[in-house]
Amino acid sequence: MDPFALINVPRKLALKDADLDLLLLKASQLHHPDNGGDQDSFSKIRLAGEILKSPAKRVRAAIECEGISFDERGEIPAKVMEYFSHIASVLQDVDSFVSERSKALSSLGKAVLDIRVPRLKGDLEDVTSKLNELKSAMIANFKIFDERGWSNCEVEMCEIARGLIFLTKWSAQLKEANGKLFEALLVG
Amino acid sequence: MSEVIIGIDLGTTQSAVAVVDSGFPLLLADKEGRSLVPSAVWYSEGGEIKVGHEALRLAGIEEVHTSVKSLIGRRASESGGGLTPDGRINTAAGLKFPEEVSAEILALLKRIAEHRLETEVTKAVLTVPAYFHDGQRAATKEAGRLAGLEIVRILSEPTAAALSYGLDRLDESSRVAVFDLGGGTFDISVLEMREGVFEVSATCGDTDLGGDDFDEAIAGFAAEKFGLDLDGFDSMERVQWLSEGRRVKLVLSDAEEATFRIPFTGEVLVSRDAFLGLMKPFLARMESCCRRAMLDAEVTARDLAAVVMVGGSSRIPMVKERVAMVFEQEPDLSQHPDEAIARGAAIQAGILAGTVREVLLLDVTPLSLGIETMGGLMNVLISRNTTIPCKAGEMFTNAVEGQESMKVRVLQGERELAKDNWELGSFEVQFKPDRRGQARVGVEFRIDADGILSVLARDVASNVDTVVKIGSAAVDVQETKVEQMVSESVEFAFEDMNARVFEESRLKAEELLPAVSIALEQAGNFLTQKEIFEIQEAKERVEKAIEDRKVAELKVSVEQLDDVTESLAAMLVEEATKAIFSDPQD
Repeated sequence: MDPFALINVPRKLALKDADLDLLLLKASQLHHPDNGGDQDSFSKIRLAGEILKSPAKRVRAAIECEGISFDERGEIPAKVMEYFSHIASVLQDVDSFVSERSKALSSLGKAVLDIRVPRLKGDLEDVTSKLNELKSAMIANFKIFDERGWSNCEVEMCEIARGLIFLTKWSAQLKEANGKLFEALLVG
Repeated sequence: MSEVIIGIDLGTTQSAVAVVDSGFPLLLADKEGRSLVPSAVWYSEGGEIKVGHEALRLAGIEEVHTSVKSLIGRRASESGGGLTPDGRINTAAGLKFPEEVSAEILALLKRIAEHRLETEVTKAVLTVPAYFHDGQRAATKEAGRLAGLEIVRILSEPTAAALSYGLDRLDESSRVAVFDLGGGTFDISVLEMREGVFEVSATCGDTDLGGDDFDEAIAGFAAEKFGLDLDGFDSMERVQWLSEGRRVKLVLSDAEEATFRIPFTGEVLVSRDAFLGLMKPFLARMESCCRRAMLDAEVTARDLAAVVMVGGSSRIPMVKERVAMVFEQEPDLSQHPDEAIARGAAIQAGILAGTVREVLLLDVTPLSLGIETMGGLMNVLISRNTTIPCKAGEMFTNAVEGQESMKVRVLQGERELAKDNWELGSFEVQFKPDRRGQARVGVEFRIDADGILSVLARDVASNVDTVVKIGSAAVDVQETKVEQMVSESVEFAFEDMNARVFEESRLKAEELLPAVSIALEQAGNFLTQKEIFEIQEAKERVEKAIEDRKVAELKVSVEQLDDVTESLAAMLVEEATKAIFSDPQD
């Protein structure tokens, strides 16, 4: 599947979110079953949209468009790996808070645990913003790849793709931790 | 002339039918001019049936079936005693499936539409709570079929309300939230409207949260004042108490206090403050859903141009206040709370019939769909908030040579463990005899525009597709029994009740005593001398009871300590809540 062709998006990595959104909207309109399209092609369009909207998946799709098989287990940017322990400890702190709070027997017992919340929230914000910086720095390479031509920078693209796959996964986990935190406070 | 498709809002407490006329959605009223039909059905032993207003008139005198929506597509174990083990409702005319009872309401709406439109109606768009799972959607569709209607689309209620809100704002480009609190269910959806496309970004909800719960909370509050227990009532008494609870709730929307009155029992004054106290846990659940929807949609309150409130229970002032607080803006009350959903259903009907053009709806699946993996975990194949229709594939292979088939359990929900999610059912993947890992069958999971799943299996070698039938997971009756047995055996393990009570209270005391010191250090200066003194006193009583090993005293004093520290706890929680919901940009 070539997601770029499916939605009529120029074959570029450095895409503007707004432009992509609009093209996906047009394609969705065209292929939706309510407008005379069929379920199968609509599902494909949406899948292509999901790939292109995610920088990690987009660069991976570009690699595959070049006919190169992508290896998930190759080299990963050192900065990304360094960062992992940091994120893991914050995620673990949130998890143990949520679990302790759910086990507390009294409202004061829960409330005393809540004293940790501002620090946890601060930690989450810190790691999230660092992660976003790292992500932006990697995405900044997209323009260079486009200019040099994808076939001339396969190795770099693969490394960036692997890094972005990790960062995307972690950023989803951080978002989930945020959700767990307020859900524990409100209904835990 | 194009064919007529009606739009139906099948609500927990009331229903309505609408149709698009000259591009504008119109509610259809019965002969008496009433456009809202109570979702109530009465059966006689002889098989006579009354529906709507006629049925509701008999409530309190005879058994009338209401809020059937909370039972549709559910299993006996989830129904709180409302369903027999095989999933039916006990009526005067015998056992009936919830879809059969709902079909009576739909048949009445069909008759109203046919009378108004003076033509036969065979097709309808039917709304369901956004958070309904596959089973609830499929059962609702079946109810339509039983009523003689072809259901051409199952539409989510908040999305329907968004269509009603957005129809005359088609040239605008904005993000809105729709907050829909009905008689039995709650939904919140975040949508993006542009170029005539209504695209749902995220939806969240609770199919066991609505006005019925508030009636029950008020009735329970009053019963407690009389030293009675709502659960001890027979079904007629229960109806009486719940409907008085409902009346008091409605009065409290305007007045500061209301009197709960039961003939021959007495009166209880219910203040708005007391009602707020009862509403607190429900409001917290709603807030949690709202914040979850914003998080999933990746928006903040400031990104939203409007928060549209619909559903009868959105009239409650404290619900409006909470919505204003969470979304940092005054809610949009421009839509009729009881009619907007039926209007939206009519608009979608118009889209499908071709009478409404330039409008398209892109809805999402509210719950993640997955399968159980080895070790009892849920493997997500389609994540929640994916635009429908959609599909996902998974490859299965034989684990041993000659394996003939493999059982796959299909789940919906957001929990990590398979058993914590709702089981849709299971199916068998059939393998051709082959060496280990050589037989390969691809399975495709498709969710259609109604949010209903179908499964297709493709033999990779022959490329032959077969539609897979999913067996229903109706075995849960036994599972409940097992759970009951387990909890009973745990209970009997404590032979000495005294020892058990002491142990429980001691555990709680062990948590509370250090918590008191920490809490006083953190927030003690916000308390009065008297409050601090009370807490210290309660604390000393607990310590003494532990020392003396006095069971009854420990239990009482721990409860007391729990009570006197309530405001202290609330203060700390409030601080934490403020911290977590403050914007980092502020």
